[in-house]
Amino acid sequence: MVKGRKSKRSVSNRRFGFYLALPAILVLLILLAIPAIITVFQSFFVVPADGVGIGTFTRVDNYLFLFKNEIFWATCLRSILFAGIFIIGSTVIGLAGALLLNEKFVGRIFLRGLLVLPWACPWLIVGIIWKWFLDGSIGLFNGVLLRLHLISDYKDFLSDPNWALLMTALASTWRQSCLVALLLLAGLQTLPRDIWDAASVDGAGIFQRFRHITLPWLRPALTVVTVLNVIYGLMQFDVIFAMTQGGPGSSTTLLSYLIYRQFFIFTNFGVGSALAVALAIIALVGGLITVKTLYRKIEL
Amino acid sequence: MDDSENTASLNSNLDRRTLLTAMGVAGLTTAPLLSRGMMSEAEAAGQTINFTAWEYQPDTIKSLVASWSTKTKNKVNISFIPNVGYTAGIQARQRGGKPADVFYNFAYNSQKFVNQKWAADLRGLPGADKMVADMFPSARSRFVAENGAIVSAPYFSAVHMLQYNKKMVAAAGFSSTPNSLQETYDQCKKIKANGVASPYVAYWVKDFVEEYLHVYLLAGNVQPFDKKGNPIFMDDPKTLDVLDWWQAMYKDGMTPKSVLTDDPGKHTTSIANGDAAFYALHHYFLRDIVESKGSASADIAQAKIVGTGGKTLQMGEVIQMGGKVTGAKKAAAWDFMKTYGYKDAGGQFTTFQKWAASGALCAPYPGFFTDPKVIAAFPKYMDLSLIKDTFQNSSDIVPARTLPWYQGFQAQCGTIIHDLLLGNSNARATANALAIACKTAKSGSGL
Repeated sequence: MVKGRKSKRSVSNRRFGFYLALPAILVLLILLAIPAIITVFQSFFVVPADGVGIGTFTRVDNYLFLFKNEIFWATCLRSILFAGIFIIGSTVIGLAGALLLNEKFVGRIFLRGLLVLPWACPWLIVGIIWKWFLDGSIGLFNGVLLRLHLISDYKDFLSDPNWALLMTALASTWRQSCLVALLLLAGLQTLPRDIWDAASVDGAGIFQRFRHITLPWLRPALTVVTVLNVIYGLMQFDVIFAMTQGGPGSSTTLLSYLIYRQFFIFTNFGVGSALAVALAIIALVGGLITVKTLYRKIEL
Repeated sequence: MDDSENTASLNSNLDRRTLLTAMGVAGLTTAPLLSRGMMSEAEAAGQTINFTAWEYQPDTIKSLVASWSTKTKNKVNISFIPNVGYTAGIQARQRGGKPADVFYNFAYNSQKFVNQKWAADLRGLPGADKMVADMFPSARSRFVAENGAIVSAPYFSAVHMLQYNKKMVAAAGFSSTPNSLQETYDQCKKIKANGVASPYVAYWVKDFVEEYLHVYLLAGNVQPFDKKGNPIFMDDPKTLDVLDWWQAMYKDGMTPKSVLTDDPGKHTTSIANGDAAFYALHHYFLRDIVESKGSASADIAQAKIVGTGGKTLQMGEVIQMGGKVTGAKKAAAWDFMKTYGYKDAGGQFTTFQKWAASGALCAPYPGFFTDPKVIAAFPKYMDLSLIKDTFQNSSDIVPARTLPWYQGFQAQCGTIIHDLLLGNSNARATANALAIACKTAKSGSGL
């Protein structure tokens, strides 16, 4: 084959792949790209609440309003903190779960099936369940901590501004870690057993094998799950809404909740759109950093 | 607010509106009635009304709708949106091009919706003035804007009352329920010393605590806003006393710490099982407490929030007509609204009789409280004359709560009050923050 000339087969394969992906691309364009473009457009206007007309062009006034407001910056920091807890928690717990479920033991298939259950719960239901789970009078969470002698009395975690953010992040992590475990388990299933056994024969301990074989092998999957975690962590709304409505005080008010308030309470669609753009940029930067840091092509 | 002053100012509103309406009719006597949507009943038949409500007693709603539908030969498509997120749902439908013809709404949204043309001004519709005139004077300004627009009809009305455990109060040595906020604290303290860990419960969650701001300001004889909707609470020194009291109730353990996030159901269970002595919320919650048949349910009675010492908040939610409803559909929609929010064609409070029976909900009409069917429908353990007296003489609707900017204030209120209760602020700083919140809400610049 002459170098530099693409084979007919490879061009045909790419075109075929494109056509297969085309329906999904169209759906994404209609459901995501067009509303996103409209949101960006609206962020430069004072948009009439009744939806009649575009509104008044304000240039960057909506953005300046946000940047001059200390509530915005405090909420940004809080959102990043929440996302950080969520990302680390989901990834670590999910990886631990995947490693465990990759081993052979009785009941493995049943436990793997159970992984799907939290993931199948809508986020709002997760919030409602965890609100009762964390209840300061009858919650099971308190009961378990009490029996483990980690607390001496039941505690109202959701009413304590020092704990509320952590608890809402924990509730979100509970669901997300199941998805992470499923994705990483799929990655682990492709790891050739020979490499693992050879390393063991060569004298590598369990942590050395984990660090030098398992983690590098999981790098692509870890990249995907971390990017997903960044997005889910920053966009989290339902759990907060169900558990605390952004309270107590403003201790669990995230950017997503501010966006909700702007759109549906203040009906200030311009500022709400500017907030949404700001959140999207933060998520985009987080995703790019993740990909840059974690992704390396596996040498075949 | 003094009823006579209220009556005078609202009577002048009615006179102005009546005069303007009369002038309009005189000037337009030759205009086709169609253009005002004022058609005869026969012409309004055969319409399909899209009605949106939240999910409180959907079967009762369906039966009310079916009854009207059968009598008028109009069809009603009902859709339900959960109460939580209802505003977001109804707004999404408005902007998405699928607005309802008649819909439930929160009172604090009502003027905003009319201003944004999502809801219709009901002025001039047949019987609208009579509906308003038949209300308690204290209630009218929830439904009538300062400029005379009739922005809504009643869905239900309620007053904040104090549900209390008779035995616990008596055992603490008190012969009556509190007549002031300070007495409330004192009674709680004594009952707490008698072994009830958290004697006082209320629905102080972030999105709802604004109602309690008015409940407690009114109980402390503070007028929160003037007639034009300007905040005046920060000019009254008693405001600081109220806020200090409120903070002390939380910090000193008179309430559970979880009161900042607990749902009403939990408080109902708490007082019904003897874990609380006082529960401040809408009067109809007494029904839930008694009918939950908890160990202490039979000991629970109802009193005014601070007895003779102050007023309470009269609240209620509304129904509105879609802003784009016209012609025959408008006539049908208005007929439906009158039946649902006032009286049926036979002059009966049919809808409210059903709500009284199924939920102990009230209506803002004096005639409702003397209706024999309502009296028969109300639970026997509820003192209807006390509730009527509270509506008539001891409550305030705080008209500012329906102003278009008010929801922005309400959204900020929760954070400010929670900061006070958690000890992150003091009474003076809280009063200032609330005043600033009003200002930013009015200018539309809240975040």
